[in-house]
Amino acid sequence: MALISSSKRQLVFRTIIYLCGFLLLWEWLRPLETLTDTGSLSAFVIYTGFCFIISVLNMKWWLSIPLKLGGLLFVLDGLFISEAMFSKGWFYLLYLHVQYNLEMISSQNWTEITPLFRSLLFLVLLWLMSYLMYYWFVISKRIFLFVLLTFIYLTVLDTFTVYEANTAIVRAFIVSLIALGVSNFYKELGREAMTFTGLKRVSAWVLPLAAVIVFSSLVGFAAPKLDPQWPDPVPYLTSTSPDAGFGEDGTGGVQKVGYGEDDSRLGGSFVQDDSLVFQAQVEEKHYWRIETKDIYTGKGWERSTEPEYNLTSDGSVDFHTFENSVETKSLQGIVTFQSNAFFSKLVYPYGIKQVDGEEDVNYLVDEEFGSIAVEAPEQQGIVDQYQISYDNPSFSIDLLSEANGEDPQAIKDKYLQLPDNLPNRVGNLASQIISEEETRYDQVKAVEQYFNRNGFVYQTEDVAVPGRNQDYVDQFLFETKAGYCDNYSTSMTVMLRTLDIPARWVKGFTGGDLAPASDDSIEGLNNYKVTNSNAHSWVEVYFPEVGWVPFEPTQGFSNPVDFYQDVNQQQDSPDTDETAEQEEQERPGNQQEVGMEEDEAASDDNPKVQLADGWSWTVAIVAAVLLAVAVILFLTRYHWMSVWIRRKFHHQQNPQMYQEAYLFLLKLLNHKGLGRQEGQTLREYAFQVDKRFESQDMVRLTHQYERMLYRNETDSAQWGNITELWENLIKRALS
Amino acid sequence: MTQHAFLYNSKISKVLRNINQVIVGKDEPATLSLVALLAGGHVLLEDVPGVGKTMLVRTLAKSLDCDFKRIQFTPDLLPSDVTGVSIYNPKELEFEFRGGPILGNIVLADEINRTSPKTQSALLEGMEENSVTVDGNTIQLKHPFFVMATQNPIEYEGTYPLPEAQLDRFLLKLKMGYPTPQEELQMLEKTSKNHPINDIEAVIDKEELITIQNEVKDVYMDQNVQRYIIDIVTGTREHRGAYLGVSPRGSIALMKAAKAYAYIHDRDYVLPDDVKYLAPFVLAHRIILTSEAKFEGITAEMIIEELLGNASIPVRKEYS
Repeated sequence: MALISSSKRQLVFRTIIYLCGFLLLWEWLRPLETLTDTGSLSAFVIYTGFCFIISVLNMKWWLSIPLKLGGLLFVLDGLFISEAMFSKGWFYLLYLHVQYNLEMISSQNWTEITPLFRSLLFLVLLWLMSYLMYYWFVISKRIFLFVLLTFIYLTVLDTFTVYEANTAIVRAFIVSLIALGVSNFYKELGREAMTFTGLKRVSAWVLPLAAVIVFSSLVGFAAPKLDPQWPDPVPYLTSTSPDAGFGEDGTGGVQKVGYGEDDSRLGGSFVQDDSLVFQAQVEEKHYWRIETKDIYTGKGWERSTEPEYNLTSDGSVDFHTFENSVETKSLQGIVTFQSNAFFSKLVYPYGIKQVDGEEDVNYLVDEEFGSIAVEAPEQQGIVDQYQISYDNPSFSIDLLSEANGEDPQAIKDKYLQLPDNLPNRVGNLASQIISEEETRYDQVKAVEQYFNRNGFVYQTEDVAVPGRNQDYVDQFLFETKAGYCDNYSTSMTVMLRTLDIPARWVKGFTGGDLAPASDDSIEGLNNYKVTNSNAHSWVEVYFPEVGWVPFEPTQGFSNPVDFYQDVNQQQDSPDTDETAEQEEQERPGNQQEVGMEEDEAASDDNPKVQLADGWSWTVAIVAAVLLAVAVILFLTRYHWMSVWIRRKFHHQQNPQMYQEAYLFLLKLLNHKGLGRQEGQTLREYAFQVDKRFESQDMVRLTHQYERMLYRNETDSAQWGNITELWENLIKRALS
Repeated sequence: MTQHAFLYNSKISKVLRNINQVIVGKDEPATLSLVALLAGGHVLLEDVPGVGKTMLVRTLAKSLDCDFKRIQFTPDLLPSDVTGVSIYNPKELEFEFRGGPILGNIVLADEINRTSPKTQSALLEGMEENSVTVDGNTIQLKHPFFVMATQNPIEYEGTYPLPEAQLDRFLLKLKMGYPTPQEELQMLEKTSKNHPINDIEAVIDKEELITIQNEVKDVYMDQNVQRYIIDIVTGTREHRGAYLGVSPRGSIALMKAAKAYAYIHDRDYVLPDDVKYLAPFVLAHRIILTSEAKFEGITAEMIIEELLGNASIPVRKEYS
């Protein structure tokens, strides 16, 4: 061992340090399995290891880059591509993916990025990381920063996510100690120019290092640990600024519009999303219902019971939301879902009677909350296309006005619920609104119309989230007076309930926009496109002998169903006006919360974690790749800048260019620790540089530069060899 | 190396070689004396007796085929002993002017601080005006005119320090310093038989010297370098240790000296290196220190050293 050669020894050290780097990076990858839907973590870890091995072997770039690229493609092939590797179709598929995803990235359509591309970006990130780690650990021997970052990363994940970093911390601690110890020893060797032979045995440094590591690890492991001295920071952080976008449990903030399952925390702004959800071929435009909710919590809506789904054998559905006395019109239509709009529940119009889809699809109906789920044998929860038959209702205003009977007890029990801490002023306001109205219909209309006349503003941005002790409805009615459909519909429902009028909250989509008929459209039916921006919520009010009647309190929206007067002459009611205005006025209704992605449907049990997966991880990966590229460009800036300047210098030989090149050289030398002191002349400096490099090049180059600078010489005839001198010096400085 | 050709540059090197033969290891004072000569300025040599001040001047004078005069300053020397005097000629029955030693090309003013200020100013006036006034007549001095004054360090007894305002008549102020033991040994060997000054031959004549002096003026100094000079000079005016900084005359002196120095090194353009090297010799004696600075032991040379360390060397040119 004493005769071990210097280069071999270096390799040993490098390998140990770099291996530690790999293990630390592994600690960064491990949590991904828990926190994201990354299923094939081992492939990524193996690829990282592969990159590290290539780096430590110190291959030439023309060998290492193709190898790493090949490994990357191999992983992608194994994970995603079913075509034969490197076949024509294989490349074409890859090309399509890249093209599609670049488009999506450029339009910031993060949700649309495919898993393949995400993985590709992630692999590129790992590749770049392997380079960066090599640079930090082996070349500049600065390990501590990465060690520190690793610990911060692990502790933050441990605190704020479900990931348990208990063992990870211990592993990282041991690996970090080894890395720091070895690297320090390695540095000392270099600084003191010690030779291994003087130390005789490896044990001279291995044993103490190992002893320190084992000892400190054991002490750390065995020592008694105090309980946390600070309270858990998570609730604190999330509750500090409720109005600035954080609800009590961390929801809120800016979200994307779309249909979502979870309505327990309403409020917060959202951004528009015009991506298509489904197309409907129907005769008339109407609202699409999905489900109702009955429990108002003060912050949002929940179900009183878990939905009970019953299989419907022949596709017949009857939610019985209105009595047979209501006039109806039988209609049919087709709903076609966008293939990527992965939806587990059907949308349907009022008066739905029959749903017919593909053969082996079964429909599950929950009458309580009015939702239809699908059960497909292969991919659970996917709906593609189905036909609907329905009886479109029209409500007679006379009938509604006469409906003054007693509400059934079951309805009263369920749909008059209010939270205990609802401020009294909500009820007072409601009483005030209806003080002059006699019939239930007039009272409901008064509450519905209240928002139009009292300074309420429809907006989707800067919408408040109720604070810890605030009520969602109270905040909207008395403080903010600004919001979107959820604010209006919830407020109306709650106000009606304070008046003992049974009401419930409904979710779904508005009618969408009329689209040009496509080839396969059916004669006599219109084609409507419904996007995420059409997600909406409204109110249903119970009328004895009539049933549930939809109302629309949201400003700018009109009631989804027809009302008519039995008398032939039409009165100028607000409703008819609204119908006329409907086309122009309709603004996208909204259900806040991100929703429409694969991830959500795939795991209903943990929607919050999944919520982050879809796009924020993609954004994170893209950002990380960009950051890594930026860091690498920064670290190698002198390399590529010298190439660039050399090219420019060859191209044009004039004093300016010479000056730029020379000054770049000074900068580079300064970066390499050979800086010119203040007050040192170029000539003195050139001697100093040449002494270091044991050459004459800098002096010769500087003499030429002096002539240009101090003699005002512009003649480039002499410059034949200065490019050569310059290149020599750059090479030497970079090596 | 370049397009320029200085006619007499080789002769300059010969002069330096001459001096080197006579005085061992005094290249720096020799070169600097030449700088002053070529720049048309004068030199003040300050050091203890016996280190070769006079020998240096004599050798330089002998290398140049010029009229060499020497004044040994003593406490009882009169101004007329320097400038000359009108003497009555009984034969012609009129006064006739007998020129003093100041009317030479190269004047060695030995131990200038041993004479009274009155006599000193007679010489200094001549250095400044290039003429002297005797009995109401103005007499032009010769051209080229080069004064090398020597003085003992001021602390020595029996000296009249030169007024500060007059010190800046000298382009440079030099110190000789003791030779190293090796140099002294070499010197002993050389002088044991025949003093080498006797073997010196003149290299440059008067006309050539004038030509050289004109050529020196043509040496190029870039604005960059001029700015560097201004940087240093203004620095002395703002330095807290300096009661009085360097005057604009000092900037001009530094420029002239730098040109001559570049010329001696066969360069037709001035480098910041030249300026940096010459600054202590050209500027130090033009700075008057505050009493606090003196008390703290700060010297003018230290101030200049500090300024040189901070002044930014021009390394880039602005191209439009």
